[in-house]
Amino acid sequence: MRIPLRRLGVYFVAFLFAIVMNFTVPRLMPGSPVDGMIAQLGPRATPAAIGAIKARFGAVEQPILGQFVDYITGLARFDLGVSVKYYPQTVTQVLARSAGWTAFLVTTAIIFSLCVGVSLGAVAAWRRGGRFDAFVSPFSVVLIAIPPVIIGLATLFTFGVTLRWFPVGYAYNPDLDPGLNFTFFGSVFWHAVMPVLTLSPYLIGEFQTTMRSSMISVLGEDYVTMGRAKGLGETAVMFSYAARNAMLPVLTNLALMLGAVFGGSIVTEIVFNYPGLGLTLFTASVARDYPVIQGQLLLMTMATLGANLLVDILYGVVDPRIREERA
Amino acid sequence: MNFGWQLLWRQKKAVAGLIIVAALCLMALFAPILAPTDPGERVGRSHQPPTVEHYFGTTKMGRDVYSQFVWGARPSLAVGFATGLFITALGTIIGLFAGYFGGRTDATLDLITNAVLVIPNIPLLILLASFAGTVGPVAIMMIIALTSWPWGARMTRSQTMALRNREFVTAARMVGEPSWRIIFVEILPNLVPLIGINIVGSIIYAIVAQTTLEYLGFGDPLNVTWGTMLYNAQNSSAIIVGAWWDIGAPAAGIALVGLGLALLNFTFDEIANPQLRSGPALSRWLRLSRLRKREPEAAR
Repeated sequence: MRIPLRRLGVYFVAFLFAIVMNFTVPRLMPGSPVDGMIAQLGPRATPAAIGAIKARFGAVEQPILGQFVDYITGLARFDLGVSVKYYPQTVTQVLARSAGWTAFLVTTAIIFSLCVGVSLGAVAAWRRGGRFDAFVSPFSVVLIAIPPVIIGLATLFTFGVTLRWFPVGYAYNPDLDPGLNFTFFGSVFWHAVMPVLTLSPYLIGEFQTTMRSSMISVLGEDYVTMGRAKGLGETAVMFSYAARNAMLPVLTNLALMLGAVFGGSIVTEIVFNYPGLGLTLFTASVARDYPVIQGQLLLMTMATLGANLLVDILYGVVDPRIREERA
Repeated sequence: MNFGWQLLWRQKKAVAGLIIVAALCLMALFAPILAPTDPGERVGRSHQPPTVEHYFGTTKMGRDVYSQFVWGARPSLAVGFATGLFITALGTIIGLFAGYFGGRTDATLDLITNAVLVIPNIPLLILLASFAGTVGPVAIMMIIALTSWPWGARMTRSQTMALRNREFVTAARMVGEPSWRIIFVEILPNLVPLIGINIVGSIIYAIVAQTTLEYLGFGDPLNVTWGTMLYNAQNSSAIIVGAWWDIGAPAAGIALVGLGLALLNFTFDEIANPQLRSGPALSRWLRLSRLRKREPEAAR
């Protein structure tokens, strides 16, 4: 599968932009963050740790270009520096601990919302102007406009604190030992319900809106008329003829929205005290643990770019016209 | 344009959205009359439930939630609206230039637009905000605007490209009009519906981003806004102790702005893109065509 060179150029520039931000922002800020970080390390501040922090944040006698080259070569070796809060753990170790939970939350929420949002959008477009459309479509636009913080707090208060249906913190019951057994998976599932339900409304709203408008334009295409002319049933035409092609803009949108989904997951994890990247980022930002904050931005940028690349590849698989063109 | 306003008026959703947003703005404007108590003053015991005296109860610090809610609307709405306008201005100008000039200008601007578009905004915002320490409203505004203009720029660019080769633009070029005049006098007025959508969408985004940043504690905690109210309520574990009014008031405020703006945006979308319409006119048309389809069957 060939991906247009232009797209790769965009991803390269985006990644470079994130790196340059990480490199310059601490050097531009008034008052070096280095002293604060060394103070925070306290008795753990070994000469090695101090040296590593100084080199990373530009408090060394070296021309700026040389510092940048050192920074890049460090990144190429997956060296993101040491965490100030969790020293002597490295940033990579700190992030690796929590990345899995965020990936789990985000993927579950996306799959769930895709199923719900795409079906709602397809049906709304199919029965355009009907009662279903008149209610669901404006409602989706409203869902997009309500910040995840609000939805999270409302869910936490209603289902967590008042009704006590779901647990209000952690990724699984802390009394359990992680293992490949039913109890553990059940606990993980149970703890993920509220966070996933908090992340989903925004996604469902976006998917419904995109799906509806792209489905409406697809419904005018010849191949949909062709399907009808063959005498296929409504459901068959709707799902295997129209919806399949109307999915393409939804996929593009999904890749672009991933950044916003990460933003939502940060807030959701904080509200529900869920041990993912967001909670790590929050504790890091409270503790002014700059290396972790920087590593976070790089990791999330990489994830978003990876997803975009994946969508570029999927595009060819879903749309036969593009597959033909490239072949 | 006249047609647009008529359509807007006929749409119940848009009117409802307009009323909600206008009511909140009026509330913010008349804060000194509606809530004469100083939002920072201690007026009662900690976490009192709503009473006649304190409509929305009190916070952990014994401050009046109602008066914080009313006064907090001011910075929240002001920053949201100003940021929305700023985002739209940036996006529109970049989109216009890329779309009109084409060639290398377009290639560069489009590359930057797409690159900023795929960088996750909130982590970037957190990086910037955490190095800046607690940030005031103007800094929050700048940070949000500089990371979120690409959506508008992309829409504006493709519209401009469609307009670039229309007769009236070619005519203006042949008469010898300077580029800036063609862009801002000939092309820009045609983009008004698009800019409307862009403004409302950007305000929604700005309010979401602002709330998120302030909830995470990057706002000035002494400045009463809906976002910092949420932050303070969270810090005093209002939800766990059952003080729902402390969280509920700012949350309702933010949700209401979102609701109002979303209803407006939905209508703007339908005006700019008639294909998406689902109002009374469309249901009437669908009913008629269904009847027409049934008639020949009945005749048979």
